Amino acid sequence: MSIEEGAKFVAAAYAIILAVVIAYYALSARRVSALQRDVDLLRREVEKREAAGSGD
Amino acid sequence: MDVKKLTSAPALFAAAGAFLVTGLLLAFLYAPIDASSMGFSQKIFYYHAPIAETALLAFGIAFVAAILYLRDPDPKWDRLGYVSVRLGLLFSLLVMATGMIWGKAAWDAWWAWEPRLTTFLIVCFLYAAYFVLRQVVEEESRRATFAAVFAIVAFIDVPITFFATRYMPEGLHPVVITAGDSGMEGSMFLSFMISMVGMTLLLVALLRVDVAAERLKDDIDDLKTRMGG
Repeated sequence: MSIEEGAKFVAAAYAIILAVVIAYYALSARRVSALQRDVDLLRREVEKREAAGSGD
Repeated sequence: MDVKKLTSAPALFAAAGAFLVTGLLLAFLYAPIDASSMGFSQKIFYYHAPIAETALLAFGIAFVAAILYLRDPDPKWDRLGYVSVRLGLLFSLLVMATGMIWGKAAWDAWWAWEPRLTTFLIVCFLYAAYFVLRQVVEEESRRATFAAVFAIVAFIDVPITFFATRYMPEGLHPVVITAGDSGMEGSMFLSFMISMVGMTLLLVALLRVDVAAERLKDDIDDLKTRMGG
């Protein structure tokens, strides 16, 4: 097999690896940010309710 | 605990990226083209093999986490096991994809029913079943216990896969590294080892991010319970 022919397979393999790893990282990072936002919101809401409850 | 610092894990990702890029540059610019019939397509090896080793490492982490969970049913071990299996399966699918491409280039066949490929495919099916199991058991502690037992049983296939080419050498898949012999010349081995370190660091970095995400999901459930109560 010539270098040119082999290069097509090599490029395809590395492109798949790069695409999958970057996509997975991006999805994970976005998921963590969204979850962190939800936790912060819920925590504030719980604190507000508990403060209101203790004030009654 | 500073979750943001834990989840971004910038130092780990930066180190992984530096090692992986260096490994790739060395593989293409420093290591020679393989003299065997594989020729230039052998360059796939420099990421293919580290991804395979890292996938098996992830299943090993899941195995250890499963044992730790059965000894001490702390949800953190279940989270670690779950995330390890997910990443192990992702890396395994990458191994299969890159292996098929390499197989087509080297053997002119996308697939061959030979020991290494077949046992690796079984690993993929086994760990895919792990997720099915987790979906069908609703109660949290039972789900975690069943998943831990399954992860231990599934791990039996990992050493079989690793040693398949060594004890069944009639297959197509080459045995490159054996005890006491790297099986390749110095520049090739250096490129491989740097990629190996990079891939391991990438696994650890992704594990940290995903474990943090699972912990946040548990925090959300706890907070919702508190609001309901």
